[in-house]
Amino acid sequence: MSSTIIWTIAIIALLGLVLAVVLYLVAEKFKVEEDPRIDEVEKVMPGANCGGCGFAGCRAFADAAVKAPNLDNNFCPVGGNDVMKKVAAILGYEVKEKAPMVAVVRCNGTCENRPKTNVYDGFASCKVKAALYAGDTGCSFGCLGCGDCVAACQFGAITMDPETGLPVVDEEKCTGCGACSKACPKSVIEVRAKGPRGMRMFVSCVNHDKGPAARKACAAACIGCGICAKTCTHGAITLENNVAYIDYSKCKLCRECEAMCPTGAIHGVNFPKPLDKDAIKARIAERQKKAKEAAEAAKAAEAAAAEPVKKEENNG
Amino acid sequence: MAKITFAIGGIHPSDSKISKNCAIEVLPLPQTVYISMAQHLGAPAKPVVAVGDKVKVGQVIAEPGGFISAFVHSSVSGTVKSIAPRKDLAGNCVVPHIEIAVEGDEWMEGIDTTDTLVTAIPEDKAEILAKIKANGVVGLGGATFPAHVKLAPAKPADYLILNGAECEPYLTSDYRIMLERTKEIVIGAAIMQKALGGCKCVIGIEENKPEAIKAMSAAVAELGYKDMEVLSLMKKYPQGGEKQLINAVTGREVPSGKLPADAGCVVQNVATSLAVYEAVQKNKPLITNTLTITGDCLPVEKQHNYLFRIGVPLSFIAEYAGGVPEAAAKIISGGPMMGKAIANLDATTVKGSSSLLYLGEEATKRQTASACIRCGKCAEACPMGLEPFLLKRLATAGDTDGLEANAVQDCIECGCCLYSCPANIPLLDIIRPAKAQVMGIMRARAAAAKAAAEAAKAAAEAKNNENK
Repeated sequence: MSSTIIWTIAIIALLGLVLAVVLYLVAEKFKVEEDPRIDEVEKVMPGANCGGCGFAGCRAFADAAVKAPNLDNNFCPVGGNDVMKKVAAILGYEVKEKAPMVAVVRCNGTCENRPKTNVYDGFASCKVKAALYAGDTGCSFGCLGCGDCVAACQFGAITMDPETGLPVVDEEKCTGCGACSKACPKSVIEVRAKGPRGMRMFVSCVNHDKGPAARKACAAACIGCGICAKTCTHGAITLENNVAYIDYSKCKLCRECEAMCPTGAIHGVNFPKPLDKDAIKARIAERQKKAKEAAEAAKAAEAAAAEPVKKEENNG
Repeated sequence: MAKITFAIGGIHPSDSKISKNCAIEVLPLPQTVYISMAQHLGAPAKPVVAVGDKVKVGQVIAEPGGFISAFVHSSVSGTVKSIAPRKDLAGNCVVPHIEIAVEGDEWMEGIDTTDTLVTAIPEDKAEILAKIKANGVVGLGGATFPAHVKLAPAKPADYLILNGAECEPYLTSDYRIMLERTKEIVIGAAIMQKALGGCKCVIGIEENKPEAIKAMSAAVAELGYKDMEVLSLMKKYPQGGEKQLINAVTGREVPSGKLPADAGCVVQNVATSLAVYEAVQKNKPLITNTLTITGDCLPVEKQHNYLFRIGVPLSFIAEYAGGVPEAAAKIISGGPMMGKAIANLDATTVKGSSSLLYLGEEATKRQTASACIRCGKCAEACPMGLEPFLLKRLATAGDTDGLEANAVQDCIECGCCLYSCPANIPLLDIIRPAKAQVMGIMRARAAAAKAAAEAAKAAAEAKNNENK
């Protein structure tokens, strides 16, 4: 009886030992050489695997970062500059600081501004809805309101506002990874620089229709009048396809465009004071008056300079 | 005898042909027509008239914008008021439309507007095709594929199949023309037979239209063209689908990713046959078509089959027919299975417009979708032998490789899966955008492969030249 137990233990132990040796040898023989820095980099990554950097996940990013000659093309939008500094420290690279980004919904089409023209009762997906038709309002460019962006966000930063029917971005949670922007079939969401203390300006409309058609579809549409572009002294606003666009790298946050916009399509957010339209308009009027005077004075001076020449000609 | 139909899938919705006894009436002219530049499959046409030009009925106002494209003719006489994008049925404002203010009804010279039947068929194949092309004839079965391209297949066709199935419920325009323009359709078929080089012609009609089968058979016998017969088919949706009809009539199967021409068949709708007759024998461009106004919430006396001029706004037709009924929950252009809900009734009619369908709350209400119970009804119903439940899952996951491997590109968007699903899952709605995405990827890949092949060829030639 006892010899059976001893034999069993001995055989099992021997078998375990032999297999352990085999496993060790195989593991040694087929060992995959991997840069240990990949593991280190992966550890400091946020671990969201959101794909916002353009790679399949955090490990793929770490792999690419280790293999790349510098970090210019690799940036983790979720971790931001803090994480990138850590990555750079591990790899011994320099990191170019990037301005923090945030998703911005460029549509003003609330239920009030943009009345419904028909009822959509199909599958609740923007992608499906966009494949079927232009949408249940007069605007064929704006937000479809089915929440593909909400589903795409891995950080719970987007919610649909039931009152306006538009998505709302929680700036605290948004990492600027751009997943919502990619999910939106109408390209309404744009990832823009967050701006100093969160202050930023943007045109909250993407409607390409001509002025009257856009206005008819939505009370707060950009009608492409170009007043903002004329007002802007920093050359930050361009007008293309009947819709204005503010280049955030040039914008100086003076809010003049916002004050001048006839439909209220331009939004400024996170400013400490509410917009004083009259004051800004007075300021612009004053500046334009001065500019006009200066131009007239210059013209007069030019004319005065040209006059003696003319006289001489007459004399001759 | 076993009933003739296609082999796999299909469903049996109620046919609801309420308007089948309404004779075709001629719709009066509106004050303005809007003629779309994209009323055919392929590249949009390019306008050849300018604002302010006077045009006559049948005058060319736009020329083809590519190989697969078609001429567009003015359907009225009057003055061109504008050429600008206009909102289509879906509310998208992309395609340019030519706006023409109607003044009188003056036709171009050379168009035979009489009713005399011309039975003598031209001998010259090239002449027939040239006339079909010049008169802008496109397939009127739904896809509006330019007819002159389809009637000149790369390899000789064995069969010309005339599609009189009209398998979509409610629609009766094809049925009415089969009764009222019977001989013209048969002559049109004989012309197409000639253009294809004398193949066999089968006219497929579903058994729920016995009068049409009788009339067409009588006309075929009377006119006595060679190799032409009328075939009675079992009533099953989507029998009017090109690949399904080929399978029903010949027993052949069009391979995945191939065209009907690869199976030796050319399918044309009966309405196309009528357009071919008018184009070749009467020199009349495709500027009219038949449209059914019908629906379950429309009293029978208000239902009509109209002969309309292309470019007439839908709202004009709706108003002429007595306005949109109160009970209509959805207005659909086309049949209830494959038609598109109209988001913008101001949209204009095009060559392929076939109906204005008013459906009530009951018929259009979407039921709440529940979870898939893996019953396999969708796979059973799919006439292309696909697995819609699987495609839906792959589409939701965004797996384009998996979708392509499971042949999403073969989907004909007939809606049998959605119709048969006991869990009310909107299968087709989810599969459709995924199909478009996969087809886009396939096209991009084909274009890249072509470019690479051309580059390689150019490099090889350059090398050859160097060696010389």
